[in-house]
Amino acid sequence: AAQRRHVAHFTFQPDPEPQEYGQTQKMNLFQAITSALDNSLAKDPTAVIFGEDVAFGGVFRCTVGLRDKYGKDRVFNTPLCEQGIVGFGIGIAVTGATAIAEIQFADYIFPAFDQIVNEAAKYRYRSGDLFNCGSLTIRAPWGCVGHGALYHSQSPEAFFAHCPGIKVVVPRSPFQAKGLLLSCIEDKNPCIFFEPKILYRAAVEQVPVEPYNIPLSQAEVIQEGSDVTLVAWGTQVHVIREVASMAQEKLGVSCEVIDLRTILPWDVDTVCKSVIKTGRLLISHEAPLTGGFASEISSTVQEECFLNLEAPISRVCGYDTPFPHIFEPFYIPDKWKCYDALRKMIN
Amino acid sequence: MTYVQTIQPQLWRTDAAGGPLQHFSRPQLPQRQEQQHFPSLDDKPQFPGASAEFIDKLEFIQPNVISGIPVYRVMDRQGQIINPSEDPHLPQEKVLKLYRSMTLLNTMDRILYESQRQGRISFYMTNYGEEGTHVGSAAALDNTDLVFGQYREAGVLMYRDYPLELFMAQCYGNVSDLGKGRQMPVHYGCRERHFVTISSPLATQIPQAVGAAYAAKRANANRVVICYFGEGAASEGDAHAGFNFAATLECPIIFFCRNNGYAISTPTSEQYRGDGIAARGPGYGILSIRVDGNDVFAVYNATKEARRRAVAENQPFLIEAMTYRIGHHSTSDDSSAYRSVDEVNYWDKQDHPISRLRHYLQSRGWWDDEQEKAWRKQSRKKVMEAFEQAERKPKPSPSLLFSDVYQEMPTQLRKQQEALARHLQTYGEHYPLDHFEK
Repeated sequence: AAQRRHVAHFTFQPDPEPQEYGQTQKMNLFQAITSALDNSLAKDPTAVIFGEDVAFGGVFRCTVGLRDKYGKDRVFNTPLCEQGIVGFGIGIAVTGATAIAEIQFADYIFPAFDQIVNEAAKYRYRSGDLFNCGSLTIRAPWGCVGHGALYHSQSPEAFFAHCPGIKVVVPRSPFQAKGLLLSCIEDKNPCIFFEPKILYRAAVEQVPVEPYNIPLSQAEVIQEGSDVTLVAWGTQVHVIREVASMAQEKLGVSCEVIDLRTILPWDVDTVCKSVIKTGRLLISHEAPLTGGFASEISSTVQEECFLNLEAPISRVCGYDTPFPHIFEPFYIPDKWKCYDALRKMIN
Repeated sequence: MTYVQTIQPQLWRTDAAGGPLQHFSRPQLPQRQEQQHFPSLDDKPQFPGASAEFIDKLEFIQPNVISGIPVYRVMDRQGQIINPSEDPHLPQEKVLKLYRSMTLLNTMDRILYESQRQGRISFYMTNYGEEGTHVGSAAALDNTDLVFGQYREAGVLMYRDYPLELFMAQCYGNVSDLGKGRQMPVHYGCRERHFVTISSPLATQIPQAVGAAYAAKRANANRVVICYFGEGAASEGDAHAGFNFAATLECPIIFFCRNNGYAISTPTSEQYRGDGIAARGPGYGILSIRVDGNDVFAVYNATKEARRRAVAENQPFLIEAMTYRIGHHSTSDDSSAYRSVDEVNYWDKQDHPISRLRHYLQSRGWWDDEQEKAWRKQSRKKVMEAFEQAERKPKPSPSLLFSDVYQEMPTQLRKQQEALARHLQTYGEHYPLDHFEK
């Protein structure tokens, strides 16, 4: 029999309908993004959206309808040049206008690395606060998608975590995405917002129609527990949520599940508070193990919580390889690898 | 419905007398419409990517580097106006301001270069020979036009009356530095004078300037953005990005290239093989001109006209100002390693923007040797006073190492700031705390 392409390695868990932000609507991730962008352009007349192919709606449909609604001077295509997109966005932000730049895939952000790291991140510091590009937000689709391979699956947050001056944010769901993206756009520092592309259609939940903010640099404890702390961000939050259920069911182990949400500056206090309680920490991300952001979390937690630790901190990550195509099911840190690592931590 | 667009073929033509046909070579670009047209059955190319006729002769276009884009000038090397209709007839005060700005900069350069040699500041870059490019262009702009520079445009700030005290404060990194001592010398910035703080990476300012121009256009600000860079920086990908974005997004920007013959030790023959930077402009659909950068009036006229049209027509302009870097690249460079003293002397003695303007001033009766002597003495005194003041001031408090990374200080960074404070309490004797404010 012909091999079927595999099913997703996670199940999206919608959060309960939010009550405190008014009327909600069923939205998937890309619709939640569109909603955030729509809200931004409505209330901020200086805000513009630009990048490759955003005019017709974007390759992931995140900007559908916005050009018609707000005009071609506010939602427009740029030439195919990431260093230009980010440099241009910095320049807009230097004048005080709001710049929302799209990089088509996080895998293609690297030509813009100099503009992000050497320019955007350092603009305020190097000028003694005479100038800044705080009103710049860069959005990019991020993470594995089942068939993306080397150049449509990357999670490059670790490269940027090493760069003081920018903020790096990864949402796990439509509701989180809209609130976090709005916070990034309004934040007075340049922000990179990575959108888990596998969730664009797969994640559906009730999302408020009006604007609302979810604070940056605040991790969320989405499930309380007493025995092990599990930390992840983006798609992987849904994987570790399932691992928490498996641990409860098969091992009688109670897990505390944390969505980090902001990678830089990250919420050290929430994670440490949890580990002080549980004594065990497992961090999981798709990005390769070596130099991945789990190493930063692990290092800080062992400094702050050494005497509370009952077991070595565990990292369940992608292998130290480029992201493969046909081998994706073996590459990703799926629930079985996380469960196995957790099991070893318990003994 | 055919889709017709006329672009002049790019041949560098001269008129019958061998002079330039027109100052700005002209790709005539009407507004591109959204592409909604279907190919017709006419026997003309229907490709969406270019508007051109068919040709049945195989012929490669020859890049024209022997007889390149002509160099526009107003004065000859002796400061005499060549074509009176090109004289901008600037009032005496303005021409004197041009002259004083250039010479004051020159004086400051000499003193600060020397101060690096004496170990008083860590680094310096002089502007010798290029003063004309700075003040000629600055004088043609509005004071509120936004300036993005590279690092050799201090004359623009000088023309905008940036005080000597602040030039020196930045070089010394003292307590008066607006940049709070964060950057190497000559990385000036001034919000009040619309001069964006310099950064070391080359050409990064080019796409940024384009974005700023786009925002100015949207804001109906009637402002132009000017972006300076050298011919070396023009090789960077960011330059290509900036030019292309400015043209496609119709931005009111002046790209001002200082072609001074060298990028550190790399001569232009190793930097590019085409006809300099001006020839690249039309490749992007940008109106372009090459000017004599040592002729302040030529620089002025080109910048003035570019500004007028950039704002009125929302399109970019490229000015390549030919000049010569008389000084070393920086205090870390000794250019005798790669060029002859004779070459440098030629430019210093035979074709210098300051002497050419002085001759113009003298021939108008607006300047003489006595005024020259008095001004040299006065400007040197001003510079020395500012210099001595800058030397005496303390450096900013070490706590300023930690601020402005973000608008607000993150918790983890505050902890690091506190850790340094505690460290200094115990080990402070090993640090130069005496020179810093508390």
